[in-house]
Amino acid sequence: MTDALLPLLALGRRRERIRSIVVCVALGAAILLLTAAEILIAGSADIALDEMIPAAFGLGDGLAAYVVFETRVPRALVALLAGALFGLAGHLYQRLVGNVLATPDILGISAGASAAATAVLTLGVAGIGVQVSAVLGALGVAALVFLLSWHRGVSPYRLVLVGIGIGACASAITTYLVTRADEMSVERALRWMIGSLGGADWNGVRVLLITLVFGSVLLLIGSRGLRTFALGDDLAAALGTRVSRLRFGALLLGAGLAAVATSITGPIGFVALVSGPLAARLVRRTDAAVAATLVGAVIVVAADLLAQTAPFISPVPTGSITAVIGAPALIYLLVRGRRRS
Amino acid sequence: MPVVPALTSSDPTTLDDRLNVQVSTRGRRRILGLLGLLVLTVIGALLSLALGARDIAPGIVVESLFGLRPSDDYETLVVVTERMPRALLALLVGASLGCSGVIMQALTRNPLADPGVLGIELGAAFAVLIGILLFGVRGASSYFWWALAGSAVTACIVLAISRLARLAASATISLVIAGAALSAILGSLITLLIVRDTAVYAHYNYWSVGQLNGRAGVIDEIWPFALAGLLLAVPLGRPLNALALGEEVAEGLGLAVARWQLSGAAVAVVLCAAATAAVGPVAFVGLLGAHTARLLVGGDHRWLLPYGALCGAVLLLLADVACRLLPGNGELQVAIATAVIGAPVFVALARGRRVVPA
Repeated sequence: MTDALLPLLALGRRRERIRSIVVCVALGAAILLLTAAEILIAGSADIALDEMIPAAFGLGDGLAAYVVFETRVPRALVALLAGALFGLAGHLYQRLVGNVLATPDILGISAGASAAATAVLTLGVAGIGVQVSAVLGALGVAALVFLLSWHRGVSPYRLVLVGIGIGACASAITTYLVTRADEMSVERALRWMIGSLGGADWNGVRVLLITLVFGSVLLLIGSRGLRTFALGDDLAAALGTRVSRLRFGALLLGAGLAAVATSITGPIGFVALVSGPLAARLVRRTDAAVAATLVGAVIVVAADLLAQTAPFISPVPTGSITAVIGAPALIYLLVRGRRRS
Repeated sequence: MPVVPALTSSDPTTLDDRLNVQVSTRGRRRILGLLGLLVLTVIGALLSLALGARDIAPGIVVESLFGLRPSDDYETLVVVTERMPRALLALLVGASLGCSGVIMQALTRNPLADPGVLGIELGAAFAVLIGILLFGVRGASSYFWWALAGSAVTACIVLAISRLARLAASATISLVIAGAALSAILGSLITLLIVRDTAVYAHYNYWSVGQLNGRAGVIDEIWPFALAGLLLAVPLGRPLNALALGEEVAEGLGLAVARWQLSGAAVAVVLCAAATAAVGPVAFVGLLGAHTARLLVGGDHRWLLPYGALCGAVLLLLADVACRLLPGNGELQVAIATAVIGAPVFVALARGRRVVPA
């Protein structure tokens, strides 16, 4: 019986793997295409194509090269990397809590990071201090949300409710800080309230890239243990996973990844929420970290392209585009949960 | 020898008498509480008149209110033409939101319900903004009709979503998450409408963050709507008491459930629309007002409605004064203060076992 089934199982595995690879390659191609499109058409300056291509790689000189290489290229890369970080963090949280709604943006963790980043910015801190503060703020909010919703274990729905409340408080604090800081321009203010990529530069790209590599390596190390979580805590422990330590570490990691991305772009909402379920649907399995990361990148680059070029409304903050697209997805996930249970 | 002589059948009148005494002392206490709240409201209003960028002595405030000072006096002008309408606006908006919160909590049987949390205020604000930017609507009394349409539509959408999702999570949770999602959509749409131009942004920003600052002139146009809503809420006390027990029980008690649910929702929406048309979205006032009232008088909605209205009014008055007194340049929008006070209360309520059974 088992002998007959094993080849079938192996075949299924192989199909699954091929499907994952195909999807990931397609997503990668989509990212490349969208990023190229953003560099080529977004922004107000009209630049000829033959000037654009060398300029995008930092060759060429003159104003056009400067505009392309110092504003458009880093902006597209920041969108890509921040989206990837949001996607990865959301996927991590969804798997660890066991509920699609429990992502760093819904739980108020991104809002906490934004409030902490704004707080040090108004004090005149710049550079890496902003990232450190954002990570600390995110970890503080995450700890608060989990502690407050602890009642003989964590119920995901209480987690979401408490997170919505804490997030509202954190956003109010951000708005307070932004309105108090008199030199803050409208665009910068909106970046910290709803997320915008207007101020992206190469420094941000560097920080995001380092964080993404760091997070991926840590995730790779813990991936075997994380896979056993799907079997339930008891079975995972029996298989040799240190359940509570691994879960704690992974939750910290997720909050940190979302916080670094937020410290560069502001709280771009609903990307973390949408990426995981969308990736799971594309590759037809739930532990698709790579696909979730790529989907996150696709969403933010596409949203930023839309925010800069859409007729009638552009330019607008990227976060408002992702919210208008992503919040209906929250409603969809909420309603669909009914059929699951 | 019986321990409770009044319960013996030989003496039927004594029990009634005792009950009457009990009821009347409770009633008296509730009336006294209401008077206490009224006094608190008056004190809040006086503080609101006296404190601000320029502090004015309470004696001068009272004199200028009674017209005992020369009308061209600077401080009199500040009190009568600027602070007085603002205090009245805070009073009216706070009372509307508090009352609306009580009704929404009773109808949805949800302790987390609030016109702001459920996204209904943002729906009203979005509709008003559409009216201003696309149809050239001007004046707070025309804003009201747009706000009414917007909040009614949003309320229907939120209820429909939470009905659809009811079996997945509990009804309470679905309602709040649906409200949060709708708030996110509407807030972003508002930003999309006003962000293009710095001047437009500065001018219309109160439709994204509610504030009393510079909105004093609105009172002349909005008071009939708010007052009408508050008066319409008066007969709702008894039906809400029945509805709070659940639809089946209310029907068993002989209540026309659908009709009262609809009229209750209509009144709540009217109050929310009046408040939003006046000052923009101010969340958590309804939640805080309703729960403070519940702490003070318990679950009887005939009392909860006036208590909730007064608690909301006091809350908004004091929050507004606090916003004026905070150090720093300019004034803080009152919606920020109510969110900072209200969100922790929301979290405390969300932790309760009534909301999410463990």
